[in-house]
Amino acid sequence: MRGQRGPLRDPAERVSRRAIVLWLIEALVGFVLLVGGAVLVANWIGGGWEIVPDWLSGNAWMLPVAVGAVMLPFVVVEPLWRYAVHRWELSGDVVYARSGWLSREWVFVPVSRIQTVDKAQGWFERALGLATVEIRTASHAGSSTIKGLDYEVAARLAEELARRAQELRDDAT
Amino acid sequence: MTHPDPGDPRPGSDLGSGPGPGTGPGAGLDPGPDTGTDTGPGPATGPGAGPGPAIGSGPGPGFGFGGGPGPGGAFGAGAGPYGARRLSPRVLLIDPIRLLPSLLLPLAGVLIAGGFSPTSFGWAAVGVAGSAVYAVIRWATFTYHLTEDRLELTRAFIGRLAKTIPLERIRGIDITEPPLHRLLGLAVLKIDTGAGGSEQEGTLDAVTMEQARALRTALLARRPAPPLPARAAGAAGIGQDAAGQGPAAPGATAEAGPEPVARVLARVPRRWLTYGPLSGAYLLTPFALAAGAVGLVFQWGEELGLTERSARQALEWVWAHPYLLVAVAALLVTAMPIVGAVAYAIFNWDFTLRARDGYLVAERGLITRRTVSLERRRIRGYEMTEALLERWAGVARLWAVVTGLGDSATRGQLLPVTPKAFASGVAREAVGPFATSLRPHPPRALRRRLVRAVVPWLPVAVAAFVLGWAVVGVVALGLAVLGIPLGLDRYRSLGHAYDGARLSVRSGSLRRAQAVVERRAVVGWTMRQTVFQRMAGLITVTAGVGAGSGGYPAIDTGETQGVEFAHEVTPDWIRPFLDDLS
Repeated sequence: MRGQRGPLRDPAERVSRRAIVLWLIEALVGFVLLVGGAVLVANWIGGGWEIVPDWLSGNAWMLPVAVGAVMLPFVVVEPLWRYAVHRWELSGDVVYARSGWLSREWVFVPVSRIQTVDKAQGWFERALGLATVEIRTASHAGSSTIKGLDYEVAARLAEELARRAQELRDDAT
Repeated sequence: MTHPDPGDPRPGSDLGSGPGPGTGPGAGLDPGPDTGTDTGPGPATGPGAGPGPAIGSGPGPGFGFGGGPGPGGAFGAGAGPYGARRLSPRVLLIDPIRLLPSLLLPLAGVLIAGGFSPTSFGWAAVGVAGSAVYAVIRWATFTYHLTEDRLELTRAFIGRLAKTIPLERIRGIDITEPPLHRLLGLAVLKIDTGAGGSEQEGTLDAVTMEQARALRTALLARRPAPPLPARAAGAAGIGQDAAGQGPAAPGATAEAGPEPVARVLARVPRRWLTYGPLSGAYLLTPFALAAGAVGLVFQWGEELGLTERSARQALEWVWAHPYLLVAVAALLVTAMPIVGAVAYAIFNWDFTLRARDGYLVAERGLITRRTVSLERRRIRGYEMTEALLERWAGVARLWAVVTGLGDSATRGQLLPVTPKAFASGVAREAVGPFATSLRPHPPRALRRRLVRAVVPWLPVAVAAFVLGWAVVGVVALGLAVLGIPLGLDRYRSLGHAYDGARLSVRSGSLRRAQAVVERRAVVGWTMRQTVFQRMAGLITVTAGVGAGSGGYPAIDTGETQGVEFAHEVTPDWIRPFLDDLS
């Protein structure tokens, strides 16, 4: 991580290293879809339409190539960058989580206001032994999703949150 | 799913699933039902469902289902012993008229298909009679039954459907008098249980107005209550007039008596109805009408013998008479404020806000008279909005921020357009005071506002000039220039503050909104920073609130300022994560 700005410190815990693989897979899927879309658009442009000037339809093949060339570095960079940014911590009965890469998000959820704690696993997460913990309160802006946790860690965190939420529950909204 | 209640591993159910009846105050973690994720058993399906476990039961007393009340006592209303009741039979006069539009097409179909023969008229008559019988059966098989702790709605038509609404769960009562109902002295009573979705709510369509009032009193008071002193508070308002005495000063008005009797918080004089068109929303009405007419022409044009050629001829004819065009445009422009004012006045006629027995009751409307009751202990703050013209005229609108209120845009309204000082007074009286002035956001936020308001138009202008579309280019440049005052004003609107009990955030220019929310309503914080905000050292700090729109953002605060704002409001939640300072 680059130097911390502002008064907030980094959350203590990193997510699992395998999350990098997860984000890589997701980035690749997105990349394939994007380039595939570009190929379709290029075919359409190169289809000999009257309104499309010749210089454009003649060089339509360059579109997917350009898209691919621009996006490829991000496929590699995004997972690593995310791994550096995504962190979480539970202390003082508050969940503090940071996520994002280009744009960032910090979420603070006090355990006393938690309504549900979900542990979810997608296909890829399952294959990698990862899990996502979704912490919900009465407000979308007070809810947090911690992705890319080791399954064991996620299970323990969810268990702990649920137990503490039961002890602390607080009816104010 | 992991549950805080370790003994309950059912998937898909909510944290709120407490152990059932007899659960003490605050069963379930969820007092705010607007999460929309509830999959637990609904609160009111099937007899004996009793206290639905999923949705927050709030901090009220536990459900006492043991002491079954006799069917007599609960409901005064001068109705004697109160058992299961039917809706008012007068509704049978309304039902056929209401069914008419849906019957029209099939009837026409039958008649046309039958070539208007006597048989076809016979069949049509059977259809009409059938629908009348259906209405009678529906009326006869629907009963409602109010006991001491719950309202039961039973429909025993095809199959039996019983809906039980524990009085504890009722968050508001909505009484509407559509025109036909009003003629017959009837009203529609809607019971808001905060369950989300109209399916979940109880509707009594229709009961007599007296019954509606008495039911409201009984349902809201959760104890036997005498019928309201008829229009005691309403009668006081008759003297108010366009030319009459000024607006009732908020709060200090018409003290009608002790608590159960309504106290008038605000009565909006009719001359303030002229502020209505300032919002701009109604200004579009004539255009909507015109667009509707055009659409109709397109839809029915074929039948009316309108061909493409005749349409083109019509266009050419119009083009040849520019004065006509100008006249129509002038008509539309002058019609805008008039139509807007009329529509606004019809909706907001004689708006009155009363405080009664732990509820705020807002009443309004000329043709359809609507009464909305909001439970005061669920009110967490207020939101005041001003459109650009409204700000210029010094007027504002007021909404309550309420936990678990369905359709909060219309139901939560505390005031229509009124002078700002008046609205602030009512907000202070009805919700609570906010005693601090807002802190401005850093100048870097100004730069960001300006960039966002101006820069997007520049490439459009450049592209337009390059392609030789001078008009588009000039328009884009004009919009870019307009972006400068817009950006300045948007920056001036930005602000946030905390006064020890409530936090407030403000933003927006064309529609400026300031929210004031109690500290206890905050359930978490989200801070977001885009790449551009990061470069400018800004951050958007959103207070998560289990009421109203769910989150109230302080847009583009300084990186330190924003975190300090959250720290100021909820120090315990932020302090563990601060670097080293304080």
